[in-house]
Amino acid sequence: MSELANIQRWLTSIIIKPGKLGEKIRLADQFYQLNNEKVIRPSLRSSAGEKIGIYARGYVLRLMDCMTAEYPALHHLLGEELFGTFAKAYLVKKPAASPDLYDLGKNFPDFLKAAQPENREIHNTDPSMFDLPVELAKLERAISEVSRSKGLEGMEENKSIENQMLYLFGTVSFHASPCLQLLQLQFPLVDFVQAVQQGSEAQVPDEKESFIVVSRKNYIVHVHELEQWQWHFLTQFKATGNYLESAEFTAQQCDLEKSSLMADMMLWIPVAISIGYIYADSEI
Amino acid sequence: MTSDKTNRLGLSNLGLGVGLRTKHYAHLMKNEPVVDWFEIISENYMNNFGYARHVLEHIVSIRPVVMHGVSMSIGSTDPLNLEYLKQLKELADLVKPVWISDHLCWTGVAHLNTHDLLPLPLTLESLKHVTERVNRVQDILKRPLILENPSTYMEFQDSTLHEWEFLTELVNKTGCGLLLDVNNVFVSGFNHNFDPEHYIRNIPHKAVVQMHIAGPTDCDTYLLDTHDQPVPTQVWKLYRLAQQLTGGVSTLLEWDANIPEYEELVAEVNKAKQVLLGDFPDVPVYRSPLADGVSNPVDHQMQTVHE
Ligand SMILES: [Fe+2]
Repeated sequence: MSELANIQRWLTSIIIKPGKLGEKIRLADQFYQLNNEKVIRPSLRSSAGEKIGIYARGYVLRLMDCMTAEYPALHHLLGEELFGTFAKAYLVKKPAASPDLYDLGKNFPDFLKAAQPENREIHNTDPSMFDLPVELAKLERAISEVSRSKGLEGMEENKSIENQMLYLFGTVSFHASPCLQLLQLQFPLVDFVQAVQQGSEAQVPDEKESFIVVSRKNYIVHVHELEQWQWHFLTQFKATGNYLESAEFTAQQCDLEKSSLMADMMLWIPVAISIGYIYADSEI
Repeated sequence: MTSDKTNRLGLSNLGLGVGLRTKHYAHLMKNEPVVDWFEIISENYMNNFGYARHVLEHIVSIRPVVMHGVSMSIGSTDPLNLEYLKQLKELADLVKPVWISDHLCWTGVAHLNTHDLLPLPLTLESLKHVTERVNRVQDILKRPLILENPSTYMEFQDSTLHEWEFLTELVNKTGCGLLLDVNNVFVSGFNHNFDPEHYIRNIPHKAVVQMHIAGPTDCDTYLLDTHDQPVPTQVWKLYRLAQQLTGGVSTLLEWDANIPEYEELVAEVNKAKQVLLGDFPDVPVYRSPLADGVSNPVDHQMQTVHE
């Protein structure tokens, strides 16, 4: 390995590894066979270690700011200290690798889930202690993904469809929006997330099954709670792209008469189009 | 302002510009941008097909835009990230930037990215390494790469070149351009005890295409490049000197944390006009009692627009 490559590995390891600075430097010196004082020039004001410390501290602060920016509601729920503990542990487990800052927090919900104690049933723990943060993280990640992925904007809209309900006659082909995300959660978190965004008082909700859709239309991100049947329909429709089959599946899942479901769908589909859950091909 | 010193690689002097930041999206979609040009952080738009890209398309249609990157990692000993360069090029096809810049630094190694701008030992080995990579990047991007001097907090015992010498050699060997961040010269000058004026007098002025100005933070034993304050008098003085020596180049105010309202941002960059006439605003370097400042803040890139 070249001298330069060795120095870069040495410094990266000190910056990225957790622990006390002095100890990190000592270990890296040992591993890479360098002596920090022979690598970094001390000055009158600061030692080599202090100079390395500026970078090591900056790394954590900078990426913690990014985690807070992506997970503001979770940060609000857990508070600075607990959020910081989890986010720092996560950055140790999954140090940043991508140039894209949005890849940084990608696995945070999974990390929080895996951090739950294994024997929580035995302790009969309150689900809000463990599930609530995981679900909130999932929802915030979904919001950030929907806000950035390719969506409906720029596609030609077929305005004639909304009123005429041509879909009933199979003359129009429908698709789920490419950026649509659906989540089934144990807590109704939409209001909580929105309150944090708006800076108003966010009430932690009680446990209650919640069916959530995150969508985007005209560059505006929508986070809404759905009826159970709407959620099942969209989930199935997103997976299969088959409108009638998805309706049948939904009737079965929700134990509904197909005819009454179809009647509800007739009223709801124009709404689903207008808010960008689904869209109609412009070619008829 | 043109003189025989002026060259800028044949690139134009765009005037006074600011960074395009999420905080000002809504304002800019409804109001005249007032400034002459914009700089974007390339990585913020590379995988972003939402509102940010929509705003970018609008800005591109009304003002010149320059792409400024933070993750090329030109000094890293990892192989060049060709996927990154491909995405950068795709974005350039959309933006048609007047130029593309990044930093003389490395961001990590072994495929890790610290999202920081880490300094290189300024040795002949580093110079050879960076020269090869700049040449390859320029071949891929089919345009000169513009490199910025980073603010640094450490120097290497092995360094045999001063940063201005390193940059001069790099320009000679590759034909790359320079983005002179006068605030970074000020910060590094304090941290490493060199005279920032001497630095500015000794870079190849013809290669300077753009300048950055910003406000740092005085952390007592060192200065930190926090981009969160008005530009202090000392930085304005260096700026004027650099503008005189280069014959006038595009100026960009960086403000990435504690970002003010758009009007205040524009007022700050417009101070440059008075400065060029020799009228310097009286602004001390901001002193922070807390050690919580962040150099190269990047979280401003991450904001979502909600209903
Ligand atoms: Fe800069």
